[in-house]
Amino acid sequence: MDNYRNVENKFRRYKAHISIAGTTQFHLRNPYAIAWWSAAFPGFGHLLLSKYLRGLSLFIWEVIVNCNAKINLAMVHSFCGNFDEAKKVLDPRWMLMYIPVYLFAIWDSYRTSVDMNKVFLLAENEDAPFNSFSIGAMEINYLDKRKPAMSVIWSLFMPGLGQLHIHRVVTSFFALAWTIAFLYFSKVLLAVHYLFLGQLAESTAVLDKQWLLFMPSMWGFAVYDSYVNTVENNKLFNIEQKDFLIKHYQNPSFQVKKGKVII
Amino acid sequence: MVQIFSTFEHSTNLELAIMMLEKNGIKKENIFAVPLTNRKTERKLFDTIHNADGVSLISTGATLGTAFAVIGASVGFKLAWGPIYCGLIGAAGGFILGVCIDVFYYKVFKKKQRLLRGKNTEVILVIECDEAQADTVEDILWHHYAFGTARII
Repeated sequence: MDNYRNVENKFRRYKAHISIAGTTQFHLRNPYAIAWWSAAFPGFGHLLLSKYLRGLSLFIWEVIVNCNAKINLAMVHSFCGNFDEAKKVLDPRWMLMYIPVYLFAIWDSYRTSVDMNKVFLLAENEDAPFNSFSIGAMEINYLDKRKPAMSVIWSLFMPGLGQLHIHRVVTSFFALAWTIAFLYFSKVLLAVHYLFLGQLAESTAVLDKQWLLFMPSMWGFAVYDSYVNTVENNKLFNIEQKDFLIKHYQNPSFQVKKGKVII
Repeated sequence: MVQIFSTFEHSTNLELAIMMLEKNGIKKENIFAVPLTNRKTERKLFDTIHNADGVSLISTGATLGTAFAVIGASVGFKLAWGPIYCGLIGAAGGFILGVCIDVFYYKVFKKKQRLLRGKNTEVILVIECDEAQADTVEDILWHHYAFGTARII
């Protein structure tokens, strides 16, 4: 059940939609920031734009091709200065197909965020009503104010929890599921365990370089995405409540008294 | 009749207060809400639940933090401290550097006015009621976190 049904479809653009799967909204974004997240991990830029299908497709594509081409492994060797090692581990059968899609993800997310900023300005000006409450058999979602700091803290503990905090269910599920794979195969937590025991050499030796390099991006994205969207959801709440108050609680016959203040 | 003035921030509590007032016999036409445009001040570092200026200074920090964590974790395989410590140092160092760049850019370069710090009065709520009801109305307002109230005759 929703509190607004778009039956007449008489508006051109809508700035937000609250559904069972999450709060989707247009807001202003820095195209360079979006392009950067696509560069860090193809798909992240699109996920930030709430374009889940292409974001998730690009994400899965990246994991498959990167793991087969050994891009991450080659990166580790290159950063360490072992260029011969890097050349040896790269698989040319996979590596060359990496480049066009990688660049497409960056270019397309940049272009889309420039476009979506324009759409936001038009939608904001049109100020069409939107659904702000949704209840169904499986979930409940509504506009609310949440603490941005809590989104960051939970994302740091486990990527995906910050998204769960603000009901971005799709990103949350995906981040949680993939973090399991990344943490397990990279053996990061095993390495941390060795660090707690003070065994630094074992800790380094146990890590899988190829899988390890997915994690920094995963953490960074989870923090950024949950923080930005918490802030934007809060702003949307304020705007929606402001409209509601003006519409229902500004009776023209109401007269403000000019008497005395009783202390 | 008296009028009770009160101030609030945008929150679910405000709507709960209005609901309670209506349940206590205050008519809808006797409630007058004035959402405010808030005063702008210098840009803040982090947004809170009460206050968000949108262009927060976390973007460059998160960007550089991630980039440096990747490089730190990679080079860490060669360094004495290992990839996890180096990755964490890279993340923290990149984040701090990013925040410093933003602070420098926004506070020194572009001194723009942003939203006021801390809690802001975002809505003025005026309620007209009988004198006998005034205490109940004020109680309801305080109970739902009004910042301040005043009674006028």
